[in-house]
Amino acid sequence: MGTEMGVAVLLKLVPDTTAKITVSGDRVDEASIGKWATSPYDEYALECAIQLRESGYGEIVAITCGKAESSKVLTDAAAVGADSLIHIMVEDDKLDSIQIQSLLSAAVKYSKSEVVVCGKQAADTNSGSTGPGIASLLGFSCVGSVSTISQNGESFLASRLGISGNEEVEVSAPCVFTFDKGETELRRPNVRGIMMAKKKPIEVLSASDLGVVIGESGVTIQAHSSPPEKSPGQIFQGAASVPEVVGKLRDEANVI
Amino acid sequence: MAYEALDFYDIDSLLTDEERMVRDMVRDWVEDRVIPNIEEACREGGFPDEWRVEIGEMGILGAPLKGYGCPGLSYIAYGLICQELERGDSGVRSFASVQGSLAMYPIWDFGSEEQKEKYLPKMAKGELVGCFGLTEPDYGSNPGDMITRAEDSGDSFILNGAKMWITNGSNADLAVVWAKLDGVIRGFIVEKGDIGFSAPEMKGKHSLKASVTSELVFQDCEIPKDRILPGVKGLRGPFSCLNNARYGISWGAVGSAQSCFNSAREYSLSRIQFGHPIASFQLVQNKLSWMLREITKGQLLAYHMGKKKDDGSWIPEQISLAKMNNVDMALEIARMSREIHGANGILDEYPVMRHMANLESVKTYEGTHDIHNLILGRHITGIQSFTRES
Repeated sequence: MGTEMGVAVLLKLVPDTTAKITVSGDRVDEASIGKWATSPYDEYALECAIQLRESGYGEIVAITCGKAESSKVLTDAAAVGADSLIHIMVEDDKLDSIQIQSLLSAAVKYSKSEVVVCGKQAADTNSGSTGPGIASLLGFSCVGSVSTISQNGESFLASRLGISGNEEVEVSAPCVFTFDKGETELRRPNVRGIMMAKKKPIEVLSASDLGVVIGESGVTIQAHSSPPEKSPGQIFQGAASVPEVVGKLRDEANVI
Repeated sequence: MAYEALDFYDIDSLLTDEERMVRDMVRDWVEDRVIPNIEEACREGGFPDEWRVEIGEMGILGAPLKGYGCPGLSYIAYGLICQELERGDSGVRSFASVQGSLAMYPIWDFGSEEQKEKYLPKMAKGELVGCFGLTEPDYGSNPGDMITRAEDSGDSFILNGAKMWITNGSNADLAVVWAKLDGVIRGFIVEKGDIGFSAPEMKGKHSLKASVTSELVFQDCEIPKDRILPGVKGLRGPFSCLNNARYGISWGAVGSAQSCFNSAREYSLSRIQFGHPIASFQLVQNKLSWMLREITKGQLLAYHMGKKKDDGSWIPEQISLAKMNNVDMALEIARMSREIHGANGILDEYPVMRHMANLESVKTYEGTHDIHNLILGRHITGIQSFTRES
């Protein structure tokens, strides 16, 4: 495995996890979302790709699929170290998972990457289908919910939290890893990185550039709605309320 | 809930991508590192060393300076950095202002090639910390009458005197000290460990508690001849530094005002009295709308001042106006926000009382509010009123 091999990092622009989401009519009001950011699990994938490169593996190509605003995730990735940037420009943001996966897999193929990393799920849809989906389309192996990967000769060792402790999985390229949070600390950008990111070109590709016919989606979103409001908490005071609290914990909350 | 900085007139849309990315980087750092730890830093009364390291790693020190390992960002970006740091705490912004505008800048503008190469790259990384010695115990607004003297002893300069209210003083590896040599104000670089130099910390502050404030004492302090800043004589030297720092403060004050406004808005929406959120009462809304109005004006002042700094078309009086106005409004907003919080406003659970106490210092440092008025008065009338003597 030489350094000509690259790692493709798939990144998605999502509402910041702390942003306030409002539903207007039957749709999330995207215009009212104040802060957008790279989906957090994708950031762990990117961090791992940077660590792999630092240990001698190939260059990092960051890929996103979305409207013009999505380029932010690429520039942010460049600021912490992505080497090249591909933006699959789509006008329609209602593409379904399969459509997005076919675009992303075509871009991965185009980038000639043999290792693909992404978050285990996106912070907005939580669908968790991108990694396995593109692995299936490309015929790559797929290891899900890993927290770290390292090179082990010709193959990779991935670590993930299993049912009874950490699980080590060995896999050979070509492969896809989806990332969970783990213990990894994300690096911060710095001014030098930001100034270099500004100069880094973004290759903008359309579906037809990639030879993908998007086709009709079989999925339509019927409606969005806000989660039901949480019922207010209850306050108990004094030792006299202990039996009542115990009763509620046992009979209503079912926790004891 | 994500911090959404008040930006009523969409200043954000005027920024370049690079400026926005730098702003977001600093904002995220302040959110992660300063806000959860600031009260502890205040209680311990010092500037946490890991903040120095992390600020250095971000590469924001000496933001608008170019070359010698300095960032070379726009003045707008420098302003945004100050805004975000001071949204956390004025003490954090003070650290960066002093390092960048008051210690790095004079070396960058007035230093010799050797001095620039020796100090600036390490200062830009935060590996060397600088401070700035101008104010003396008896000479604050009137630095021209300073007592600190330098004597040429042939092989070296001998410094005698004392400086006071020096941010970063006890933590500093070097001090840019202004002293009279044959009656003319000159800049000197004094290094930690130079014989006859000490920097005792001033304790007991009710303001800027997360910042180190010190005296600088020179008792026959002997420094090599090559530590004089060759490029400037007279008050122009320190005043050039202060112009940059004051410009940064005009943005920093916006940051603390944004923090206080946010806290007041959130508190007033959740605090129920007489069966309704206090935000629904007209007197509270009047306060909130006054805050929004003043912050918006302050942002436009700071932004336009930044554009003028970037294209070089500024005059110092414009900086006086921006510093004076924005600190004044921020302090009023902090007080008003404290009032909206009622008794809760005095707790460290909310940032408002800390900002208020900080801004009391900011109002009278880097040129007192009144002195800035006199600078403008002289500009308007052509008559100086700093002194009875002409």
